[in-house]
Amino acid sequence: MLVLSRQRDESIMIGDNIVVTIVDIRGDKVRLGINAPSEIPVHRQEVYEAIQRENIRAASLEPEETRDIGGLTSK
Amino acid sequence: MWINTTRFGRIDVDSADLLNFQSGLPGLEQCREWALLADAENDALGWLQSTTRDDVAIAVVSPRRFVPQYQVRIPRSELTPLRLHDIRQAQLVVVVSKNNKGLTLNLKAPIVINLEDRTGRQVVASGDLSLHQPLDHTLATLKKSA
Repeated sequence: MLVLSRQRDESIMIGDNIVVTIVDIRGDKVRLGINAPSEIPVHRQEVYEAIQRENIRAASLEPEETRDIGGLTSK
Repeated sequence: MWINTTRFGRIDVDSADLLNFQSGLPGLEQCREWALLADAENDALGWLQSTTRDDVAIAVVSPRRFVPQYQVRIPRSELTPLRLHDIRQAQLVVVVSKNNKGLTLNLKAPIVINLEDRTGRQVVASGDLSLHQPLDHTLATLKKSA
């Protein structure tokens, strides 16, 4: 992993079209601004990984397992 | 065009009906082209079948059919790659999965489809939504016992 130190308002360039800027630093929380082409998805890592796991699990679903979905509901 | 599928056998899909997911889906990033199929037995259910991986299909439903109060806030940055300015121009579906208790819906990361452009993308909705919202039988059981 490349580790760089940045102060508020400073930026990092990734490739030639992604810029990450330190927008704010407050306590142990950093606010990051990301400038990237819209076709590149940008997500909090843990959220993205959770969605990956959920999709992989969903992709194992077989039609027989969905037979009674018509009668189900959710609050 | 004919595609092979492990769940539905060999099927003929119209190339004009295919959906292009520029970034695939998280976990299935290489699956860029999908056919949206109707389930044979359940009109509430659709299947996104990968045209390149015969074993990859995702069950999807229209969320309000099961969660009437479902409302999403989707950041504009999530919609621009689909050339959508407004979520109302889109078709929104959510992924059906299962856990050890039964079927669940991914309300946190719905799939947005631009029907005109035939493009789609899974987006992350703002707010405290569940990745595995349980569907239950309560309503169905009540109906049976009445």
